[in-house]
Amino acid sequence: MYSYIARRLVFGALTVIGVSIMVFVIMRILPGDPLVAIFGPEGYTKLTDAQRDNYMRELGLSDPLWVQYLSWVHDIVRGEFGHSFFRSESVAEMILRRGPLTAEIALFSVILSWIVGIPVAIVSALKPNTAADSVVRFLSILFLAVPGFWVGMLIVLALLFWFGYRAPMAGASLFSDPLINLQLVIGPAIVLGLGQAAYIARMGRSSLLEVIREDYVRTARAKGLNSRWVIAMHALPNALLPVITLSGVLMGLVLAGSIPVERAFGTPGLGYSMFTAVYERDVFVMQNLVFLYSVVFVLLNILIDLSIAFLDPRIRLR
Amino acid sequence: MTATTETRAQAVLIPPGQRRGFWAGLRTIVRRAPLSAFWGVVAALIIAMAAAAPATAPYPPLKSDFRAMTKPPSEKHWMGTDQIGRDTLSRVIYGSQTSLTVALGAVLFGTTVGALWGLACGYFGGRFDMASQRVIEFLQSFPDLILAMAIAMALGGGVVTVIVAIAITRIPFGGRVIRSVVLSLKELQYVEAARGIGAGHARMMFRHILPQCVAPYLILATTHLGVAIVIEASLGFLGVGIPPPTPTWGNMLSDALNAGLVPPWWLVLFPGAAITLTVLAFNLLGDGIRDLLDPRLRGSV
Repeated sequence: MYSYIARRLVFGALTVIGVSIMVFVIMRILPGDPLVAIFGPEGYTKLTDAQRDNYMRELGLSDPLWVQYLSWVHDIVRGEFGHSFFRSESVAEMILRRGPLTAEIALFSVILSWIVGIPVAIVSALKPNTAADSVVRFLSILFLAVPGFWVGMLIVLALLFWFGYRAPMAGASLFSDPLINLQLVIGPAIVLGLGQAAYIARMGRSSLLEVIREDYVRTARAKGLNSRWVIAMHALPNALLPVITLSGVLMGLVLAGSIPVERAFGTPGLGYSMFTAVYERDVFVMQNLVFLYSVVFVLLNILIDLSIAFLDPRIRLR
Repeated sequence: MTATTETRAQAVLIPPGQRRGFWAGLRTIVRRAPLSAFWGVVAALIIAMAAAAPATAPYPPLKSDFRAMTKPPSEKHWMGTDQIGRDTLSRVIYGSQTSLTVALGAVLFGTTVGALWGLACGYFGGRFDMASQRVIEFLQSFPDLILAMAIAMALGGGVVTVIVAIAITRIPFGGRVIRSVVLSLKELQYVEAARGIGAGHARMMFRHILPQCVAPYLILATTHLGVAIVIEASLGFLGVGIPPPTPTWGNMLSDALNAGLVPPWWLVLFPGAAITLTVLAFNLLGDGIRDLLDPRLRGSV
């Protein structure tokens, strides 16, 4: 168990380093010229050579690449995420101010996906090929196809159209003003949660269908246990392991999906700033946010792997 | 161990005797999986509509009619008009052209590169494989959309750059699946026999192993089409896709939101419905193809 944890953590650290190199390569090397990314191809051609040199020096872009990379990593380690090209607020401040809202949305959406997905999976797996099962399967396939941000736009429109309601524009933390905070969080959380619930229901159904056929489930039934008890205490725990792993993979869907969904709802979270950064071609903010999101994604998956190791005696007792 | 690899590889093998003609195959599909066949027809209709956009669209997609700005659906404009009087239906149809081109291009490019990479990894193994697996792991440490956003932004907007950006996010999937298929194929007797009679690396890989990877490749490609369409729409929605005024579904939704505080409902409803219908058709078609070609892969791709 301990060696497993140690190995997972070392691999995680290596992955973070690899991810940082990849982010750097994408944001700094791929375009050939970062100024093109900042000013756009048209704006770039309007700059004079002197202006270009000036910008390059100012941004530290004339240094050798490895120096640029190391100074970026150095900054991150010190908690210094740099400044936006267009705004006065530092990126670190922005993350602290807007991050919690997005984290809340992600957390609620995961909880919601389990609350909706698991019961649906159980119903669907216990009565396979019935009408209820077909409906559930079609709905989950439908939800896999619907883009979350579009659903978000429709929800905003429908609320406005029928109830004249619009979520508040300004951010508020859960502690200072829970009511406003809830109104901001609930829409994106529902959209992202239902999107995940579709995957979870699908996976949970097939996983449960497999487990129900196992010998030990038949044994439990044969010794006279109540069938609900067998499902809840014998089948479900084993069927849920792959679903937990899937939930970790789906975090990518939540983290990335929150960007367009927050734009659709106009939620003042970190996803919205990511959209702003990309829209304004703010390379440095983008670089740091992409790195942040990927590191969070990697860390969450390590956490999931470790909790699986803890929950699964086959790994725990090794 | 050997038993499992054998059964897995056998699922992939298509005996030459069972290959049938195109029409006979089609009839089997319709009989065995009518639902998939139906969605296949829907997908084909969407592709046909996109390909024949100049004929199917009632108006040119960029033509503004200043006497009919922001008009709700009517007999003249079935899906209404946008803020500068462009016909939404025409833009949705032309948008399908862009979306499908990008999605097909990205999936073909990404899955093919991934598959060839996976073929090399599985075949050569060793240090090359180790290093490749790490790189693929790094690629998979990014959420798809975020990686595509970063690449599209770095490369600057355009059809080709968006295709490349989405294709790169598809590489790990092709690499992983094809590698595992090749690993199991490598142990089979006919491959060993080929090695025994002195076939070179290139001949072994492309002549003996690659043909057996076609089924998983097709399954992968169709299942990822839907994902690619959604990523393309999201990129357009976030303003890093194909730059306006080219109509794409994502751009249209983004335009609707940019226009004012309250977007008109027809500008939101129709482009999104087009995305949903297309993705649904391709996903269900993909499911059908997967079940037909290789029931064992059910749920694994």
